[in-house]
Amino acid sequence: MGNRLGRYAIWIAVALVGAVCWGVLALGRGETVNAAWLLFAALASYAIAYRFYARFIQRRVLETDDNRATPAERLNNGRDFEPMDRRILFGHHFAAIAGAGPLVGPVLAAQMGFLPGTIWIIFGVILAGAVQDMTILFFSMRRNGKTLGQMAREEIGPVGGAAALVAVLAIMVILLAVLALVVVNALADSPWGAFSIAMTLPIALLMGFYLRFLRPGRVLEVSLIGVGLLILALIGGGWISESSAYAEAWTFGGVTIAIALIVYGFVASVLPVWVLLAPRDYLSTFMKIGTIGLLAIGIAVTLPVMQMPRLTEFASSATGGPVAPVGPLFPFVFITIACGALSGFHSLIASGTTPKLIQKESQVRMIGYGAMLMESFVAVMALIAAAVLDPGLYFAMNAPGTVTGGTAESAASAVTGLGFSVSAETLSSTAANVGEESIISRTGGAPTLAVGMSQIFAGATAFLGGLQAFWYHFAIMFEALFILTTVDAGTRVGRFMLQDLAGNLYSPFRNTSWLPGNIITSAVIVGAWGYFLIIGVTDPLGGINQLFPLFGIANQLLAAVALTVATTILIKMGKLRYIWVTLLPLAWDAVVTLTASWYKIFSSEPTIGFFAQRSAAIEAYNAGENYTGASSLAQTQQIITNATVDGILSIIFALAIIIVIADASRVWFGLIRGTKQPEMSEATYEESHLDSEGREIEREPVGAGAGSSGTTPNA
Amino acid sequence: MPEHLPRNPLRYAWEYIKEISGENAYDRYLAVHTATHPDRPPMGRGEFYRQRQDEKYNNPGSRCP
Repeated sequence: MGNRLGRYAIWIAVALVGAVCWGVLALGRGETVNAAWLLFAALASYAIAYRFYARFIQRRVLETDDNRATPAERLNNGRDFEPMDRRILFGHHFAAIAGAGPLVGPVLAAQMGFLPGTIWIIFGVILAGAVQDMTILFFSMRRNGKTLGQMAREEIGPVGGAAALVAVLAIMVILLAVLALVVVNALADSPWGAFSIAMTLPIALLMGFYLRFLRPGRVLEVSLIGVGLLILALIGGGWISESSAYAEAWTFGGVTIAIALIVYGFVASVLPVWVLLAPRDYLSTFMKIGTIGLLAIGIAVTLPVMQMPRLTEFASSATGGPVAPVGPLFPFVFITIACGALSGFHSLIASGTTPKLIQKESQVRMIGYGAMLMESFVAVMALIAAAVLDPGLYFAMNAPGTVTGGTAESAASAVTGLGFSVSAETLSSTAANVGEESIISRTGGAPTLAVGMSQIFAGATAFLGGLQAFWYHFAIMFEALFILTTVDAGTRVGRFMLQDLAGNLYSPFRNTSWLPGNIITSAVIVGAWGYFLIIGVTDPLGGINQLFPLFGIANQLLAAVALTVATTILIKMGKLRYIWVTLLPLAWDAVVTLTASWYKIFSSEPTIGFFAQRSAAIEAYNAGENYTGASSLAQTQQIITNATVDGILSIIFALAIIIVIADASRVWFGLIRGTKQPEMSEATYEESHLDSEGREIEREPVGAGAGSSGTTPNA
Repeated sequence: MPEHLPRNPLRYAWEYIKEISGENAYDRYLAVHTATHPDRPPMGRGEFYRQRQDEKYNNPGSRCP
């Protein structure tokens, strides 16, 4: 069949392109590499994975059946259950999984060189992350959209289920604290940033009012108005930063901004959603999709050269590099790049809203696997944006204040000490170019990404005179905006989970519109992440270093829960011979997460192990000395407290993984030996009456099989 | 649902944006409602939109960081 040959010829060509690009990336001799090689290596790998591996999983492992009605069709109520066009659902699902995670992680991991991050982002997504998203989406869909927690309880047991629930709540708290910390680090001492982000509040209020009363439901209209006002706020921020009086009034320290965020989080959670939350949601979704699109265009147009080497010497160092989270390449790169390669959070989305909207079973491949490939591509672009920076500049921006000393001169000499070079003038002029006082030790990843993006955008808009400062603050605004949307929405999700839990003790809590319950649970959630945010902001050693590993471990822990659930269900489905599809990523994830936990708990290196740090700080305190990085005994005391809290959390996370996997293994062996019956909670089979485009079909001749979603890989 | 998304790429993008942003959710509701319950008066745009928004956020899923 000539047609068949033609089809494979294309795939052979794609494979060749991918192989050549990977060859250049990994083995090239040149000093620097053009980002184009990375882009095409990623795209070719995604295309092949989507065409062959995802299809194998869909057809052989999951055996999707398009004659079987999905819950969207069976339970269609026009609201949460409703068959949605696959292209639209793809967009919704992608917008829900894409957040700040894939942008921040790759930036921090770039300290090892661009290659480790690239390999993990691309192979991690193909073999682990996209597999997790797709299988959980499918299993949840077969169970009428049950959540991950419900599936863990029903398929594994009450112990595994309870551990999963606790894990989800704890992770939510750490996640919100870390993301808020990233925003604080980006806005502290930046009048331009603080002003433009503060302006998003009145803009959101206006949009909320407009959408609710003036022109209800005119979403596009109000979003365009919102984006327009946002651009004005950005330009206004530029004026503010130039006028010395206003600039001073809009310059806030980290603690002030942190308190403002905490108050904001509480208010947004208690108020009706239409006031703040919903309009911000529209705004940030618009900005998110728009900026990701712009970044893709910018990279494609400028094809920048990556200045970061393939591997830095920190990649082979036993104590890792200076950039948080500190630790050796294995396992820390793999917990730093969470979203983009494997993110447990996606299993919460893949098992909540999306499965109730799928039209055809086979579409789990496009929506689950495909959207995750796209998320991974966002991570690749973030990595490129960080790698185009001069490595000296990168380290001056990302090494903590304890290393750089805070001034341009001390940072320049510290960077030289790290084996790179950057002049104090370059550091000052870069800060001036992006409209900031200083860019030294702006940790957290967001400012670095913003500088990288502003270079790319300024390159692409060189005909307009560059506008680097505008683009920098555009990028900061975009990151802060959608992190804040995650913060208020996450607080709300946490509040609902807590209300559900508290409802077991005192039933009025279950009523989510009961105001006292609403206020109490919101305060508890905000108080929890606010506590970690404040200790992060005031941490003498730089909070990112303390909290980011916890965040990464927690996210990977949730992925372990999801993959455990998926493996259990595969065994119950009688797919023992394909169990490696989820078991291998699970094994890898468990090894990574437990090794990282082991380092954080038992390492004798005070920069890595929480308890080693604690004892070293106690020793210093008892001797009446300041611990390295602390400027007073009180700060030393603070380091002791933080290290204790973080250390205990590490232990809890590690125990949760062990409990979930041990409990599940018990179930697995029972199933395999036949001492346990494979009881599944799948919804019963009903025949579908829709075709792949969602149209009613005549039911006499049963059309065979899938043949629906094979359009584009969308990655 | 966009059963027949237009072939023209610009029109396609426009229809896609309208669909994905929820701009035409009310039009779709109206079409379904008049087809299925021609006897009952449909909700107004404002009422429909408010109900949908409250429902969405009272039943929050989660999102990725």
